[in-house]
Amino acid sequence: MRRRSHIWTWARRATALGFFVLLVAGARTDVEWLRGSTTATTLMGALPFADPLAAIQTALATRSVTRELWVGAGILAALAALLGPVFCGWLCPLGFLLDGNAALRERILRLFDKRHRRIAERGAPRGTRELALLFVLSFTVFCGIPFFEAVSPIQLLVRGIAYGAWLGLFVVLGIAIAEWFAPRIWCRTICPTGGLYALLGRLAPLRVRIDRERAGKLHCAQCESHCPMGIPVMNGYTLAGASAVDDPDCTRCGACLDACPGAVLRIGVR
Amino acid sequence: MTITPVSTNRRAFLALVGIGAGAALGAGRRHLVGLPTPKRLRPPGARSEADFLAACIRCGQCVIACPPDALRLADLEDGIAAGAPLFDSRENPCNLCAGEDELHCIAVCPTTALNALDDRADARIGTAAIDSERCFAWNDTVCRACWHACPYPNSAITLDWKSRPQIVADACTGCGLCDHACLTEPSSIRIAPFGVGVDA
Repeated sequence: MRRRSHIWTWARRATALGFFVLLVAGARTDVEWLRGSTTATTLMGALPFADPLAAIQTALATRSVTRELWVGAGILAALAALLGPVFCGWLCPLGFLLDGNAALRERILRLFDKRHRRIAERGAPRGTRELALLFVLSFTVFCGIPFFEAVSPIQLLVRGIAYGAWLGLFVVLGIAIAEWFAPRIWCRTICPTGGLYALLGRLAPLRVRIDRERAGKLHCAQCESHCPMGIPVMNGYTLAGASAVDDPDCTRCGACLDACPGAVLRIGVR
Repeated sequence: MTITPVSTNRRAFLALVGIGAGAALGAGRRHLVGLPTPKRLRPPGARSEADFLAACIRCGQCVIACPPDALRLADLEDGIAAGAPLFDSRENPCNLCAGEDELHCIAVCPTTALNALDDRADARIGTAAIDSERCFAWNDTVCRACWHACPYPNSAITLDWKSRPQIVADACTGCGLCDHACLTEPSSIRIAPFGVGVDA
């Protein structure tokens, strides 16, 4: 049996932190790698990126699309279509913060209960982000403002640190505190940005693959209890012999790969 | 086979709820645009407050590009306008990118929030108004601070035969350089944001 590894966890934390540091540096210093925010960014002063949900909201509100928006949103939508909702697992600054928050919570809970996390914890419910997404889109059409980008906690975090609009940081803090009682409630239950990425990445060929030769002997459920999105990783295999995780919420973050003691899981093309 | 965490029926129901809400609310499009948001001075190239807030994607690229570092992003106190750029003319006015070859905020804006201008004099950020009770020049003290600061002296700010400044609303860009330069404390000049509450 293999010891628990941390390679994927640290890789994704380093990626997300690097992205956030470049965003903040772009706003506060002369470093020009990334300029903007998570809604729209310019890479190296040339290549535009736009968050698909933010771009759709702006398009709905103005009934027009600029070149920067469709190119920028198209790039990220194409990435999600190929790789799945990797923004959530690998880039999102709020995801990074809440991931650290959840890790801190685990550490502290384990001080009091040594057996904590051996069994999967009931986290926040899933399957409601699409509703949040539809609500955001309908509300945007209604009020004629990309309103979610005004109040999105992802935005509030970036705006607070990079642009000095610090009031929004209290909202972020509130979510971080709420997640001590309802783990991962933002990412799993509410976030419409993640909901859209999950829709875009539904058919993505990049998957967490299940090695059917090695699977089925342990039933340790470590993957399930470590999954930030609370996906029952092995259910597809157990119930239907699936060779890959088909859940659209999977962000390809690799937490299950790190947790697996039997080298059953790996990331590959379906 | 896909294992869904929520039954297909419930998911279809949730989708219907969302779409139904969208269709119902869509009929009343733009009714919320009149929401009470604070009156703010927006960067040049913004057409009306409603069109500006509809198009602005809240990315902050204009804030980074601004040469005099005048722009900042609105905080949550601005409600639904949070994250949109604004400036305080008394503290740090827009200088219409004097000495630059373009208006940088407009150049980097990825949306139609800030639109290219044929001429900088066409910028309509707001309109200045002079409080003649406080203004030195209107109270027999020699002062032309605003006239000297104005990028369009003698067209946007004119001096009358007693050297008292007057705003020509048709030529005023609302950049706020006069408000910044005003020697009284508080300033005798207020910039009324252009197009606030106007639904173009």
